[in-house]
Parts: sequence; C-alpha cells; structure tokens
Amino acid sequence: MASSSAGGPGSGDAAPPRRNSKRPKYSRFTQQELPACKPILTPRWVISAFLLVGIVFIPIGVISLFASQDVVEIVDRYDSVCIPKNFTNDKVKYIQSPGSKPPCHRILNVTKHMKQPIYVYYQLDNFYQNHRRYVKSRNDKQLRDPSSENDISGCKPEDSNSRGVIVPCGLIAWSLFNDTYNFSHNNQQLKVNRRGISWKSDRDHKFGKDVFPKNFQSGGLIGGGKLAYNVSLSEQEDLIVWMRTAALPTFRKLYGKIEVDLQKGDVINVTLGNYYNTYSFNGKKKLVLSTTSWLGGKNDFLGIAYLTVGGLCFFLALSFTLIYLIKPRQLGDPTFLSWNRGPGGH
Amino acid sequence: MKRYVYINDDEASRQQLYCVNRISNRKYTVLNFLPKNLWEQFSRFMNQYFLLIACLQLWSLITPVNPASTWGPLIFIFAVSATKEAWDDYNRYLSDKKANEKEVWVVRQGIKKHIQAQDIHVGNIVWLRENDEVPCDLVLMGTSDPQGLCYIETSALDGETDLKTRVIPSACMGIDFELLHKIKGLVECPNPDKDIRRFDANLRLFPPFLDNDVCPLTIKNTILQSCYLRNTEWACGVAVYTGNETKLGMSRGIPEPKLTAVDAMIDKLTGAIFVFQIVVVMVLGIAGNVWKDTEARKQWYVQYPDKGPWYELLVIPLRFELLCSIMIPISIKVSLDLVKSLYAKFIDWDNEMIDLETGIPSHATNTAISEDLGQVEYILTDKTGTLTENRMIFRRCCISGIFYGNESGDALKDVELLNAIASSSTHVIHFLTIMAICNTVVPIKSKSGAISYKAQSQDEDALVNAAARLHMVYANKNGNILEIRFHGLIIQYEILETLEFTSDRKRMSVVVKDCQNGKILLLSKGADEAILPCASAGQQTRTFVDAVEQYAQLGLRTLCLAWRELKENEYREWSFMFKEASSTLVDREWRIAEVCQRLEHNLEVLGVTAIEDRLQDGVPETIETLRKAGINFWMLTGDKQNTAIQIALSCNFISPEPKGQLLLIDGKTEDEVCRSLERVLLTMRSTFSQPKDVAFVVDGWALEIALRHHWEAFTELATLSRTAICCRVTPSQKAQLVELLKSCDYRTLAIGDGGNDVRMIQQADIGVGISGREGLQAARAADYSIGKFRFLKRLILVHGRYSYNRTAFLSQYSFYKSLLICFIQIFFSFISGVSGTSLFNSVSLMAYNVFYTSIPVLVSVLDKDLNEETVMQHPQILFYCQAGRLLNPSTFAGWFGRSLFHAIVVFVISINAYAYEKSEMEELSMVALSGCIWLQAFVVALETNSFTKLQHLAIWGNLIAFYIINWMFSALPSSGMYTIMFRLCRQPSYWITVFLIVAAGMGPILALKYFRYTYRPSKINILQQAERRGGPILSLGSIEPLQARTIEEDVSPLSITQPKNRNPVYEPLLSDSPNSTRRSFGSGTPFDFFQSQRLSSYSRNCKDN
Repeated sequence: MASSSAGGPGSGDAAPPRRNSKRPKYSRFTQQELPACKPILTPRWVISAFLLVGIVFIPIGVISLFASQDVVEIVDRYDSVCIPKNFTNDKVKYIQSPGSKPPCHRILNVTKHMKQPIYVYYQLDNFYQNHRRYVKSRNDKQLRDPSSENDISGCKPEDSNSRGVIVPCGLIAWSLFNDTYNFSHNNQQLKVNRRGISWKSDRDHKFGKDVFPKNFQSGGLIGGGKLAYNVSLSEQEDLIVWMRTAALPTFRKLYGKIEVDLQKGDVINVTLGNYYNTYSFNGKKKLVLSTTSWLGGKNDFLGIAYLTVGGLCFFLALSFTLIYLIKPRQLGDPTFLSWNRGPGGH
Repeated sequence: MKRYVYINDDEASRQQLYCVNRISNRKYTVLNFLPKNLWEQFSRFMNQYFLLIACLQLWSLITPVNPASTWGPLIFIFAVSATKEAWDDYNRYLSDKKANEKEVWVVRQGIKKHIQAQDIHVGNIVWLRENDEVPCDLVLMGTSDPQGLCYIETSALDGETDLKTRVIPSACMGIDFELLHKIKGLVECPNPDKDIRRFDANLRLFPPFLDNDVCPLTIKNTILQSCYLRNTEWACGVAVYTGNETKLGMSRGIPEPKLTAVDAMIDKLTGAIFVFQIVVVMVLGIAGNVWKDTEARKQWYVQYPDKGPWYELLVIPLRFELLCSIMIPISIKVSLDLVKSLYAKFIDWDNEMIDLETGIPSHATNTAISEDLGQVEYILTDKTGTLTENRMIFRRCCISGIFYGNESGDALKDVELLNAIASSSTHVIHFLTIMAICNTVVPIKSKSGAISYKAQSQDEDALVNAAARLHMVYANKNGNILEIRFHGLIIQYEILETLEFTSDRKRMSVVVKDCQNGKILLLSKGADEAILPCASAGQQTRTFVDAVEQYAQLGLRTLCLAWRELKENEYREWSFMFKEASSTLVDREWRIAEVCQRLEHNLEVLGVTAIEDRLQDGVPETIETLRKAGINFWMLTGDKQNTAIQIALSCNFISPEPKGQLLLIDGKTEDEVCRSLERVLLTMRSTFSQPKDVAFVVDGWALEIALRHHWEAFTELATLSRTAICCRVTPSQKAQLVELLKSCDYRTLAIGDGGNDVRMIQQADIGVGISGREGLQAARAADYSIGKFRFLKRLILVHGRYSYNRTAFLSQYSFYKSLLICFIQIFFSFISGVSGTSLFNSVSLMAYNVFYTSIPVLVSVLDKDLNEETVMQHPQILFYCQAGRLLNPSTFAGWFGRSLFHAIVVFVISINAYAYEKSEMEELSMVALSGCIWLQAFVVALETNSFTKLQHLAIWGNLIAFYIINWMFSALPSSGMYTIMFRLCRQPSYWITVFLIVAAGMGPILALKYFRYTYRPSKINILQQAERRGGPILSLGSIEPLQARTIEEDVSPLSITQPKNRNPVYEPLLSDSPNSTRRSFGSGTPFDFFQSQRLSSYSRNCKDN
C-alpha cells in the first residue's frame, strides 16, 4: 500500500516539451562575450605614454622652430607712409579720389641671404574676407562655364549693372586687390614672376578658359581692381588668388615670385602703386618678401607649441613618476571598497 | 441603442448592417500611412524643433550652410522611424490576416460550410469543436452536453486559467442537433461595449421552435472571442458581435509608452542645452548687430545697405540660431533607438536566461526601457509562482487532532494515515471525500484509462491528486453525478449546489446528495479564518488553530476542511433563497454570499491540510544579491500572513529575530490601524540608524485603511523600510502600492506571474512577468518576461547595468561632439565679424553629425566596464547606476567642459598654424574638422573600457573612412573642397598640426583621468583594477555577506564625502542626483513637504477608485 505513493501527487510533470527552436543561436556576439582587451591606466602605461609624447614632440618642435627660423622674411607696412603729406588727415578722401596717384617708393634691406624662390605677398589686416555677406557673394558656375554667364544667384549686390550681368559677379571679385609693386635692385629691374601664383586646380577647373570678364567694374561704384577684358579668367591669376577667400581677418596673398637669390645687405627699391582702400576701416597693408621652408612660411607657433606640449608631457611624466614613487598606490586594493570596510560591529 | 440580430437569416446578413468579422489592429492603411505617421512624428517637440530649423534654412539670406545639411538627416531620421512603424504595422497586419483566414464551420442556407473567420456575419451560427478558438462573440445555442453546458478557458480575456462553465439559454434547451441548423430567432442585445462581465440581452425563437416567449440572456450564455472551448465535444452559437466590435476588440487599448529615468534626464539636458543655445544666440545676435552698425559699415567691400528691410535686426540672430542648431544632436534619437533595440536583443539572446525546463528564452517586449533596469530601487514581487514554483504538493494534514506526515514530511507516506484509511476511520474517510469532491475540478479520462484533472486552482489540483493517491479517486463527473472510487467501491454523489469561492468569502462549499443513502451533505473548505468561526458551538477548534499555526510556521499553505449534514427541508428552503439570489440583477455577488452564509454554519471541522509550494531555485541567493545591490524588496501576496512571513524568512527576505525585526500593522478599524501605524513608524524611525533589519508586515485590510486615511504616514513608512510584506492584498492594492512608491520618485520593478499581477506590472516603471504555470498573462502584459525568478539578478545587474552605462556614455558623448563643433563655429564667428559665417561646409557638417561621429559611438553597446562575474560578486556597484552617477547634470557639465576645452584647442591651434598665407578658408575648415575627428576618436577610445575587434574597427576604421570620404569629395571638381584634402595630406604642417591637436586635447584629459583613476578611484575603478590584476578579487567573493543595513550605512558616507574630493567636471556631484540625497536625508522634513503635494492627487485617485 505504502509503496504505491512514489513521489508527490503533483509530480505528474506536465512540463511542455522543450522548444529548442526558440532557443537563440549561440554566438559570442549575441552573448556579449567577444574577446576584448581591457586596458587600464596603469602608472607604467600612462607615464610611458607621456614620456613618449615628450620624446617625440620636443625634437619635432625644435626642428619646426629651426625651419621657421630659417625662413627669411621682410615685412614692410606701407599703408600710412604712402599717403602724400597733405592728405594724412583724410586718407580715405585721397584713396577714393579719381585720377592717377603718385607712385610710392620704399626701400627694403635684405638682412640675410635669401634663396630663390622668394615669394612676394601682400598682407591685409582687419579685412574680413570671411564675412557672411562677402564670402558667399560669388557664383562658381559662372566662373567656370561661359554658358552659365547669366547665373548670378548669390552675387547680390554686385550681380548686374545697367549694361547687363557682371562677369565675374559678386563682392569678392568686385573688391579685387589692386596695389601694384615693382622691384628694382641696383637700379636693375628685379623680375617678379606673376605666373603660377594660383592653384593649378583652380586655373584648370574652377575658372573657365573661355570665360571673359564682362561689365566688370563699370557700374556706379568702383570697388577694387579692374580686369583685362580680353584675358580669360583662368589666366587672371590675381583674381584667382584673391577669390581663394581667407579664413582669418589677417591674411597674406601671393603677388608673385622673385626667382633670383638676394644677398645679405642688398637694398631693394620698391615702387608701389597705392590704390586699394583699407583706410576706411583702418586696415593695414603690408608688403612681404619671404622665403619658404618645408613647413611653409615663417611661423613659430607650431615649434613653440610642440616644445610646450612636449615639455608639459615630460613634466607630467616626471611628476607622475615622483608621485608614484613617493606615494605608491596599490591598484585595485579591495580594502578601498567601502562595503568591505564595513564596521565590524555587527 | 440596441442591435437586433436575426439568427441564421441570410437575408439580413446580406444587408451588412454590422461589420463582418474582420479583425484589424492596424494603425495605418496604405493611403493614410504617410500623413498620419508624419503627424505623429511631428507631435514630438524635438522633431518640431528640427523641422523649424530645416524650414528656416530654406531662407537663403540667413542660412549659413546648405539646407540639405539639416534636411538630409531629418528625412533620414523620419524615414527610419516611419520604416519601423510600417514594419510593426505590417506584422500586425500579418497576424490579423492569420486570425481572419482561420477556417470555421458556419451554417449557410441551412448547410454547414467551411469558411474563413473573416466572413462570419452577425446572425450566423458558428460551430466549434473541442479546443477551437472562438472567432467572435457568440450566444450559445447548443452543445454536445445534454445539460447544455460547455467549458471554456478565458485566459486571453481576463487572465484566469480555470475553466468556466457556460450554459445555453433555457429557450434552446432540448433542441435537436439536426434542428440547430434551421433555428431562427431574434437576439436583442445592446450595442458593443467592452464589459466582459455583462451581457444583458433577450432571445426570442421563432416558430416552429418554441413559443414567442422572451428568454433573458446573460454573460453565462455567451462565449466570447479568443476563448477556447474545452472538455466539450462541440458547441454552436449565434454571432452577435464580430470583428473589432467584439468585447475583446472594444477593450483593446494601446498601453502608454513608458519613459525611462535616463530618457527624462536626457530630455532635461536637451532642454538645458536649448536654453543655453538661446542665450548664445541672443548674445551673438546682439553682438553681431552692434558690430554691423559700428564696424561693418566701414568695411566698404561688404556693401551693407544703409537701410535694410524691417527684419534686418532679426537676420543675424536667426543666422546664429541656425549655426547653433547643431548643438542639439539630431542623431541622438536614432542612435538611442538603435542601441536600445540592441540591448533588448541582447536580453532575448542571452543563453544564461533560458529556462532550461521549458526552453523558453527571456524576452524583452518593451525595447525602450533597458536602462531603467539598472536604476531599479524597489522590487515588488508576487509570492506564489514568482518566488515559489507554484507547484503545489500535499504534504501534511491534521485530521481530528491527529497530525500526519510530521515525521516524514509527507503525509502520503505516513503509515499511520494509510492504516487509518485501511481501517476506514470515519473522520478520515470524510476528510478524503471532501478533498476529492469539494472543488470544481473536472476529471478527464484518457483513452488508456488514466485520469487527469482539470483544476481551477493549483491547491485543488494538489488535494484531488493527493486524495487519489490515498485511494479516494475522483473518477468521473457526469453532469451532476460524481463518481468516486474508494478501495474498489464506487460511490456516487449528486451535486446539488456549488457555493463558489470568492476572495471575500475565502471558502467554497458544495452541497451534495449521497446517492447511496440520500443524505444531503454540505462540504466546505477554506481559509482557517473563514472556516473555524463557522464551527459548531460544541467543537473544540483549538487543535486546528494550533495545526494551522504550526503548518504556517513551516511555510505551508493551509486549508481547513469541514462538513455538515443538512436536513431535507432545510436544504430545500435554502435552495429556494439561493436560486432567488442567483437570479438577482443588483448586487448579485453580495446577495449570494449572504445566502451562503446562512448555510455555512455549525460545521464540523474535520481537519487541516497543508500544501507545500516549493521555492524556486536560487531565490534566496537572488534576493540577497539584489538586496546587497541596494534594491529594496516588497512582497505582495494574496496569501496569509504566516505563510508569507515563513516564505519571506526562507528566501532571505527578512532576517530571523535577533538580527531582524518584524513590525506588524494590523487592526480592523481606522483607529486601530492608525495607532499601529504610528507605533511602527516610531520604531522604524528609531531603528533607522541601527544595523537592524526591520521590516513591516501589513495585511490587505489594514492596508486599505492605511492607504485611504493615512497616506502620508504610510508613505513615510514606505520610504523608511527596505522590506515589507503585504499579505492578503488584491490586485488593485498591488497596483496602488506601486503607485505609492512611484509617487515618491522611486524606480519600481514589479514582478509576477499571474493574472492578478497584471495591473501591478503595467503600473510599475518596469514590469517583469514570469512565464510560469499560471499562464502567460503576466508575461504578455510585462515589459520583460523571464522563465525563472533567479534570472532577475542577471537582468538587473548585467543587462540593466550595462544598458545604463552605455546609454549614459552614448547620450553625453552625442552632446559632446555636437557642442564641440558648435563651439568652434561660435569662436569662428568672432573672427569673421560676428556675421554668422560657417567655418565648415555643408557636406562636412552633415557627415560629421550623421556619420563620422555616430558610427564609432554605436559600438559602445559592446562596452563592458566590469566583467559580469565581478558585478555579481559586488552587486553594491549597482549603486552607481541607481543613483544616476553616470548621467546627471554634473557629469554632463564634465562633458560640456571637455567639448569647450577641445573646441578651444582645435580652434586656437588651427588658426595659428594656418595663419597668414595659409589661411585659406577651405583648408582651415578641413584642418579644424580633422582635428575634431581625431579628437573624438581618441575620446571614444579613452572612454571605452573593453576593446573588441568591432570597436577597433569602428573607431580606427572610422578615422580612415573620414579620409577616404574626403578624398572622394576632393576628387570632385564641382565640390567646394576640390583638391583640398589631397593638398593637405601632402603638407607636413597638416599632420604636425593634427598631432598637436590630439596631444594638446587628450593630454590633460588623460592626465586627469589617470590621476583620478589612481588616486581618487571610484568603486568601479577599483574593481576594474582588481579585475585586471586577477587574484584577490575572486577570494573577495567569499567575504561574509553583510546585512543590507550595513550597505546603506556605508553608502551614505561614501555619497557625502565623494563630492568634496572629486573634480566636479568629471565626477557627478551627489547633490545633483536626487535619489542619493534623498537617502542620506533619511526621515526628515523633506518628506513632509513632498507628501503634502502628493496628498491632493491621491484623494482624487481615491474617488476614482
């Protein structure tokens, strides 16, 4: 009798059949078990990282600084000195007055040997080529394609005048820089190569070979320089350079290249035509002669920044090492877990 | 309004007065999809904002970039959401289609035909066979049962798994099977509603079937859609409601979408950024206008007109608004949706959360709330079926003062009991008879002759099975005649009445007539407090009270069994009253209970049964681990107090006496409850600081009073107590308790398995259903369904925690990268005449937000800060998630500061390195952009804790992809950046600049992180370090389990001291995380203030209830 009751009465297991089909397939991804490396910030790792950065950065900084120091640069500000004496109080009126202006003579002293090519830049200060109204005031299609001549969208207010659409339209082209520089050295003309100063890609693809200026600077308001009507845009390199707008209010643009070496002590006479109006907004104009290095022009920033960052990394590596030595800290010490530190009272 | 249903009238059904039986759960149709979906999407604030920005960008005067840079992502995001909706809707359409095309038997032109369910018309007669699903709401016409009964399972409708009986209307009684095809008549019923317990209708059959008498119909005469026909060979009925007009169709609702705490925090941060953006825009707008009037007019080449249009003052602010609009990352919503669905998939895929017994994997129904799992503070759990297996086993009994099964723990093996049965001791025989027949169990004989039972409750199932084992076999039920086999004898009983179980009565009885001697007997079983007071005056119930006590101590469920012989005329008198009560329309249940009361007295108590419900595997461990994690547990059960307390003790819920203390809240009247509550509260406050495990116990009755009249005090109690046991609570009280905790701003998780938990599960922030033996209602209503309670540990500690960590990083990072680029734009505006020029071109901006910075961060869904095992060993670490330490205003401030710092680094270095002759706009913009991309790659790398191949691929691959994409753009002559990238990559100064940006940007961050990591490590850091070093961490697992109160204590100093020595930029300040401040406050004034606000809303709720 007693033997009849084997197991609980409720153990008549009515468990549903295994539904293995519903079981998800096993993969390391679905189980979030992909093999992973878990780096932690150990003192050794961090200190050597900082040390490494320091070791790499300081030489680069030195090299950059040397490169920058190697560059010889002659900067001459001429905007105020090239105003005749009687106009010093009303520079704007002078520059805006029509008619020819007397050439301005400047003398540049070469203090160090300058290897060719020597780049001639003009530098403008406080000139906002990146202004919202200005930077968009152009039409790339029109510049590229003669059939899109009438495409002047975005060019307001210099899109057309009484004679028709303007090519190239827009404020950028309209305000083309037009000061001119002539260099002589020992009473000999110093040849400045004005070709190849713009980007080749711009000449080939952005400015059309068969697009010619039209109605340019012929309206009521004259902005900057004029363009020769019979030269295609792709050969108007001053315009191409000018239309690569600068991102900063202080910028240099290439005027030409001097393709001879200049010796130390050389004196260069510059005859410049001062036509461009920077007086109404107190902008400075500078003429820059500069050689170049692998890093570009004279700019100490990168070198100094590299030395600073490298030095700081060194300093950090050192101080971390010191702290580590003075106050060693066991990583992952479980006694720092507050719940393991629990008061033993209970 | 009424509807008239002409039975079996093909003419009437052809008129198509009512909709056909086509179910449609679809939200959209092909035609209205686009407008409706767009309308829904645009009802969200974020989307409206982005649309406004996109529209503003169409105004070329103010747009800094190509409108495509906003429209592109916007359309992409809308397309993604719309596709998801469309896919869901398509799936709904498929499931509808499946239901609609199910074949059913319907009478057409007098002939039974096989048609699709969707072609059923109102008035059709539908035939069902056993185990068929009911296709629409039917009024029964006939069944295979000669009494006109049939059994249905209504679990899909109300979640009750027991079988319910339905009966055909009296008018249809006795109609021949063949004639049912030709039956004609009229059903007059109300218009469709969603009340599944009410159906007040009339039936009139046309001649020749019966006279013209009107026959009333109730819900008893109907079988509703989605029920199943059980234990009945066939049934037929007339369709009264079809399609979406069925009771089920009408009650179908869309649940409110749940919002996680993380989402709410992100919304808050978005709001803050929005305000910041407005401020920036206003400042820059004013500055821009001032600069324009003072400086820009002098810049002749800009040609500012002297007089502008009326809106001129607005132009610059609007430009800045557009420029700054990227501050709010457009991609964040898509990214979050994407990773959230992946979290949900990880839960679905998890092999360790598969119930091996049934092979059912865990499932996340709600894919959007995984982060909340990591922030749970309160778990409200059901007992039966959730903590226990809900597999009832009869263990012990006490018959007339003699205890059986005490030694062996199994009464079925107790020789004494078997001997008593063999000697046919009267009491024992009576006892067994009640066990066998005092129930609503239906025995089913299989072909092999074995008998299985269909039981309403697991308890009855256990009792009947136990009786069968003790040779009292409930063999057959034939109409009202029951057959019992006892030692080869067949005893027949006729059931006269069944006095059903209700949760108020807490007992059930049957009135049977012994067919052998014609005696009428009342057999009762029920809870002790429901049976013992009804005992006859002479009987000593002392032993039974002791027995109940003793069994409850062991955590067993007890039932008292009693009986009484009825006089013939007593029964007849009572039967008349009972019939009357049963047919009342008003307060029927109450009337019936009252009538039953008149019969159930003077009972002779026979004994007590004790049924064991075993704990599930791993329940104590799970509870202990989760309590260590700082989660508070409340147990809400319908069971009685002692049983509940015993279960609570056995699963580590509460500690035994010296360590723990149980405080009882009881009382029958308001005053008593109030006093008891005050007392408990006083003790609770005084012991709050002590390392004591204090829990309170409250029963349903006291709870009702406490919730109604002492909401404030009870709320304080709730916030003070880490543990509570609420017994004898109803489903709505469970939901109320959830509501109470939610109103105190706690994150609640409700877990349960039965239909009675559904309300609580839906109410809670997170509802978890156990797909257990009580069916799938809870699992279906829940956000997550798991197979076993112990999976909860993994769900919270692993999935919840990882989800929270990952989302916290992802969301803040999204803001970081948007702010980074936006700050650069703002800085650039200062050197571009505050005119609103964009440094970056449209393509870069668009790709930056949608592509370059979104892909690497998406793989952070694979990031794991700690191993799963470590978290399991140190569940306390969940505190960081709970208190929101990883995503709050101060961590966000850290990211904000980081983006500001990086923006300064990128900007200053780029403009200085690319000065003078190099300051070409496109070049500078690409240098700055490269700097941002490099920095963000390193930031992601630095913040990633574990690198898998995928992460390396995404982070570094993205960097390479950046160059490839930009080279491609640089190869297009028509693009603005033609040749730029080639040009830059050839320049040594470009690379030197980029590396400088990386070193200068990451150096301080690495240094700071290292310093904090080593000298001010958070608990997570310590565990990470310990984990990497291997060794001691494993031995730590065996540290003595500390009591929860200890953790609480330790956590508080931790939370207070931390902000002092932490850099506020990187470590969350605790004052900013509401939960932890609340904790350290303890019981104080903040609560009173808090609750007084809640009070008014609660009293409103009360009235609603």
